[in-house]
Amino acid sequence: MTYPKTRFALLMSAALLATTPGFADDLSDLKAEFSQMRLDYERRITQLEQRLIQAETNSQQSKTDIAKVNTQPVTQASKNNNSFNPAISMVLNGQFSDYAEPADGYELSGFSLQGEGGLAREGFSLGESEITMSASIDQLLFGQATVALHDHEGETEVEIEEAFIETLGLGNGMTVRAGRFYSPIGYLNEKHIHAWNFADAPLIYRGLFGNQLSTDGVKLSYLLPTDLYAEVGGTVGNGAQHPGSGEHNGIGDWLVYAKTGGDIGTNHSWQVGVSHWQAEPEDRAYSGGHDHGGDGDDPVLFNGETDISNLSLVYKWAPNGNFRQQNLTLLGEYFYLDEQGQLNNSTELASYNGQQYGGFVEGIYQFVPNWRTGLRYDWLGSDLRASDNELLSDADLDFSGFHPQRYSLMLEWIPSEFSRLRAQINHDKSSHNNDTQLFLQYTVSIGAHGAHSF
Amino acid sequence: MKKIILSLLLIMANSPVMAELNIFACEPEWAALSHELGGDKVTVFSATTGLQDPHYIQARPSLIAKARRTQLLVCTGAELESGWLPLLQRKAGNAAIQIGASGYFMASDYVALLDIPSSLDRSQGDVHAAGNPHIHTSPVTILQIAKALSQRMQKLDSNNTAYYQQRWHDFNQRWQAATERWQRQAAPLKDIAIIVQHNSWPYLLNWLELNKVAVLERKAGVQPTIDDLNNVLNQLKITPAKMVIHAAYQSPRATDWLVDKTDINKVTLPFTVGGNEQSKDLFSLFDDTIKRLLEASQ
Repeated sequence: MTYPKTRFALLMSAALLATTPGFADDLSDLKAEFSQMRLDYERRITQLEQRLIQAETNSQQSKTDIAKVNTQPVTQASKNNNSFNPAISMVLNGQFSDYAEPADGYELSGFSLQGEGGLAREGFSLGESEITMSASIDQLLFGQATVALHDHEGETEVEIEEAFIETLGLGNGMTVRAGRFYSPIGYLNEKHIHAWNFADAPLIYRGLFGNQLSTDGVKLSYLLPTDLYAEVGGTVGNGAQHPGSGEHNGIGDWLVYAKTGGDIGTNHSWQVGVSHWQAEPEDRAYSGGHDHGGDGDDPVLFNGETDISNLSLVYKWAPNGNFRQQNLTLLGEYFYLDEQGQLNNSTELASYNGQQYGGFVEGIYQFVPNWRTGLRYDWLGSDLRASDNELLSDADLDFSGFHPQRYSLMLEWIPSEFSRLRAQINHDKSSHNNDTQLFLQYTVSIGAHGAHSF
Repeated sequence: MKKIILSLLLIMANSPVMAELNIFACEPEWAALSHELGGDKVTVFSATTGLQDPHYIQARPSLIAKARRTQLLVCTGAELESGWLPLLQRKAGNAAIQIGASGYFMASDYVALLDIPSSLDRSQGDVHAAGNPHIHTSPVTILQIAKALSQRMQKLDSNNTAYYQQRWHDFNQRWQAATERWQRQAAPLKDIAIIVQHNSWPYLLNWLELNKVAVLERKAGVQPTIDDLNNVLNQLKITPAKMVIHAAYQSPRATDWLVDKTDINKVTLPFTVGGNEQSKDLFSLFDDTIKRLLEASQ
């Protein structure tokens, strides 16, 4: 067993001996080799360092890139309501009404009640449910439609309240609107009823328009390039909406208006508007002072010219202009209707000259973010003259010159921008019968965010 | 007579000097930024003040008149002005400020928004589908918006491009230096536990790395109930907080309730330019904000 070991040792020593003769030379070789290696490594390290620097620059570069990306527009999905779909909102409301006097005996002395001009159904009733859709149509036009559903004598009626198109930024302050829209005749008239401050319409709106005047036609408005808000405009329509009437091939009614307004400091803002409307009603039927009453078989008809003028004043106050916390609104409107023409039924004819006028003032105070209270006073008058008073009687028009009046008080709880509970009490002297009326009402809106119009 | 006509002509000839960029800013922070970037080449109108809730603004006659004559609308977007801005656009008869036009600048289009809700339901209070709109509470987002706004000004008023570029470079340098300073100053605020009344501050908290432990408004924009506040009170016993913050324009009722019940510090932050006397421009707004936070953290 030892033999192979000795042999291995011998071999090793032989090998060592073989290398010894050139030892000095080899050392210098080794040195050279080492320095070569060092150079090599140094080169590699420099290369590595360079690569590291490169890498660092790269990461710096990518950081800058991130910063760049950050400052570049973030592409996001459309932030409009439901991207390309129209903004859809729905207003639901219902109320409980209680009257001291029977509702079907309601009269407004000196005025004829039309359409929805009467009192709401006594007891529980579903108010109007409104669906509004709006959207930009293209780069030029905006469109909006409001369809209202309401119950009328046991049947559900569908009504197109508004359906119009409007130019978007025609430029130079011009805007054209076409279709059906609420006439710019008064401050409240341009707002939907659910945006009004009381559960029922001001008496003058009820008496002249059957709550609200709309126009089927075209509206043109021009906003002056002044620091003070000043807008003038006009509408032309088909003349079919009450108190207009009849089929007109051309322009059946027209209106001109002017509005101005502004701020006083940061706490106060105001607006004043005037307007004048004219139509030539053909065969406008009187339903009489009663809602949907009158002589169904042989109604009294009016033919002639009707002029209505309006003055409206709005003042709003909010501490620091911050409407969220507290605000006060004072609003007053006055209307004057003047008409001349003839009254007739199937057997009689009379010349007629009538003036119906009146207005309201209201003050609404939001004392904390979720509560508002308001007071309203209505006052009307009339001067109706016909060559034959019998026709006025047949039309159920009270021509005694009685002045209807009404006092209203309301309290609202507004949990959010989208809901409202309202309690309202009226002391109503619309006719010789005094009435006390109570309303409890909810109004909510679902869907697209509503507009905060002035 | 000749003299009068001549002087009238002179006045009219002089008026083109006013060929400035007419800017309508929805909020004071954008008015201040427009001033910084536009200098004397712009006239700026701010639709709201620092003491107004920018959501609850009405499309007042004065705003319509201003919107009619403006060439550039600078607003937050993200539904903050959804109650009144669309009305102004429709009523102003001004093509320059319609959606997508070159005069329509929504700041929130240029930053990544925080707090994008995972579900949209109004039962959750004031929900902003696009995300939290209070983007101006961090200088980092302001810088991003400033760059985009300057580019927009250069595009709209190309005669003064060099001027706007110079203003931007100047602002960029000063703002970055100020941001670094604020960060150094605010270093002790890092990870401090705070309570906010309303979620107005995600961008500020993100920037300074403050630790929000509770919100008084359980649902955004809805006044907290006594139960909500008691819950926060109970939570405070487990996870104490140093301060409760609310914006100057908000009613401090909920904050006051909590301050009354605990020894927590109340901080009324200016929120935006004009929110208090000290906040005269964007720089002093952040100076004051940091100062108030530091004071309350002592």
